[in-house]
Amino acid sequence: MSLLKRQIKTEVKKMRRLEDEKNISTSQPLNLSSSVFDITSPYIPRLARIERITRLTEKERLFTIAIEDGKALGHQPGQFIMLSIPGFGEAPISVSSPPDNGNMFELCVRAVGNLTNALHNLSKGDRIWIRGPYGKGFPVESLKGKDLLFISGGIGLVPMRSLIKTVLSERLSYGRANLLYGVKAPDEILFRDELSQWERTGTINIQITIDKPHPAWKGHTGVVTTLLPPLKIDETKTVAIVVGPPVMYKYVIMSLGDKRIAGHDIYLSLERRMKCGLGKCGHCQINSVYVCQEGPVFRLSDIRYLREAI
Amino acid sequence: MNYRFLSKKGVASFVTGLLKEFRVYGPVKKDGFPMYGEITSPDELHLLHTPTHLSPKHYLFPQRETLLRFKNGENHSIEPTVEAHDQALFGVHSCDIHAIRLMDMVFAYGTPDVNYLKRREKTVIIGIDCLPDKHCFCKSVNTMTVDSGFDLFLHDIGSGFVVEIGTRKGNDLLYKHAKTKKATAGERAKMAEFKNKKAELFITKINAEASTLPLLYSGSYFSPVWEKIGKICYGCGSCNNVCPTCYCFDVRDDVTLNLTEGGRYRVWDGCTLEDFAKVAGGHNFRKTRAERLRHRFNRKFQYQVDKFGGLFCVGCGRCIRTCLVNINIAEVTNELIEETNKDRS
Repeated sequence: MSLLKRQIKTEVKKMRRLEDEKNISTSQPLNLSSSVFDITSPYIPRLARIERITRLTEKERLFTIAIEDGKALGHQPGQFIMLSIPGFGEAPISVSSPPDNGNMFELCVRAVGNLTNALHNLSKGDRIWIRGPYGKGFPVESLKGKDLLFISGGIGLVPMRSLIKTVLSERLSYGRANLLYGVKAPDEILFRDELSQWERTGTINIQITIDKPHPAWKGHTGVVTTLLPPLKIDETKTVAIVVGPPVMYKYVIMSLGDKRIAGHDIYLSLERRMKCGLGKCGHCQINSVYVCQEGPVFRLSDIRYLREAI
Repeated sequence: MNYRFLSKKGVASFVTGLLKEFRVYGPVKKDGFPMYGEITSPDELHLLHTPTHLSPKHYLFPQRETLLRFKNGENHSIEPTVEAHDQALFGVHSCDIHAIRLMDMVFAYGTPDVNYLKRREKTVIIGIDCLPDKHCFCKSVNTMTVDSGFDLFLHDIGSGFVVEIGTRKGNDLLYKHAKTKKATAGERAKMAEFKNKKAELFITKINAEASTLPLLYSGSYFSPVWEKIGKICYGCGSCNNVCPTCYCFDVRDDVTLNLTEGGRYRVWDGCTLEDFAKVAGGHNFRKTRAERLRHRFNRKFQYQVDKFGGLFCVGCGRCIRTCLVNINIAEVTNELIEETNKDRS
């Protein structure tokens, strides 16, 4: 009898032990399963080579880059890549060419920092490393059927060129197109040949302005917003695309307001310092928005009340 | 939840057992300050109730870590690097466990960060009860206790520890390396008693419900407080360094002297430092110290809350202790509360 009792007792103990174990939460706050070992480092770059270097101005050069593995970059107009030269670090650079160019793409770079100066010292055939593309680009599909008003200041033409060339390659899908381009001095005008070619074919109306009078300049003088008032546009079907230095946005937005273009018809590309492109490093953060993730292209109506954005 | 009783002597043999499997980091005294350090024997542990001056953040997110190694020249290459080893963090306080949970979210969302996550996966977290010092305000931000995020948690009840088992991993380690018995109802009651006592000890407090703080900060963007603290702030970034939930980083390259090889590193950065938001053209998006402090405080109480759903201030009080000019995040918050109340009445 006592033997049976003992047996029952041990059984009960066993059951309780099992119950206890069941209550142990096996779930961790994160699913840190073996799958963690399968993911690869997002910092691994792809090898690329400089195919051609074109001098655009004193400070800017256009680099044609070929990706070694032969695959396309797969970017959208307005997106950026992280460009690096081992030893000099990484920096975010806007892609300046339209998509669908095989494994080739173009970067227009101003020599202004550590990495960009090093890049300017490289020559044809030299190796560079890229990762990306990152960020959200221009909404190409939803621009179809609209009149387009491109407003760009200085180096802002670089990411915009990717979109303009995309539009021109399928010109009939879009309405009228205007490009207002402001630069400080005549010798800072980027893509001179292309601009006059676009102008000549008559598919896009281009107006260039220089900030201050210059002996070598016979065209319009004044900041880019001075081109807006006389411009005839249909505010019901015009979408404005604005890319320029931080100081330009506030004034351009005001002028666009005078033209009765609504906030949801204005797209901007914001510049910020970036170190990872993955929404982690914190440098590009505007309030709770990571520009590298939700931008760099934003719809004005989405960020009008985002403090520190513009 | 499963609770086991572990005697005070049993802790030493448990740690000895852990040392066979892991690198163990626990609270030790360094230069007279309580800090986390690697231990080689259980005698080195200072299982104090007081907070450590630095959090265990750097064991999961090192101050400098290699992301890539590269070789230049003929046989050029770029290889990713992940530095991770089996490690046990022993004696982690509840605020830091909350902080680690937030860091887990940050590095796992979107593009997962393999360097952090691999290290996190190889980490065992053993928490311990603590008592507040004059800077702690975890009670005000609901991080005084934890119910998950640890593998084991030791509750001090005087005669020994009631061990709360958080995960299967923790359970297995405890059974393997320690002699424990089931905690009695009496022992578990003492655990609650400790909690109640602790709740009464706080000197630093935030005078509002934690859940109201995001809205408070959102409404205090134009407060004169930012100018006031911006005027005295040195912009030294100490608060960023000691914060267990500050994770902003810079990515840098270093090469050997003969330029043939090198590495890409991630190093801690701080949003209160002058160059943090400065772009290559020279434009600085947060020029003044006031703007940068406002950004940091808002990250803790509003911005990251919008993104991840929890307060990013865990009330550890470390930024208050380390600040050279005594900027007190709890006091600043209280000032904002006062201002807001004044505006309302």
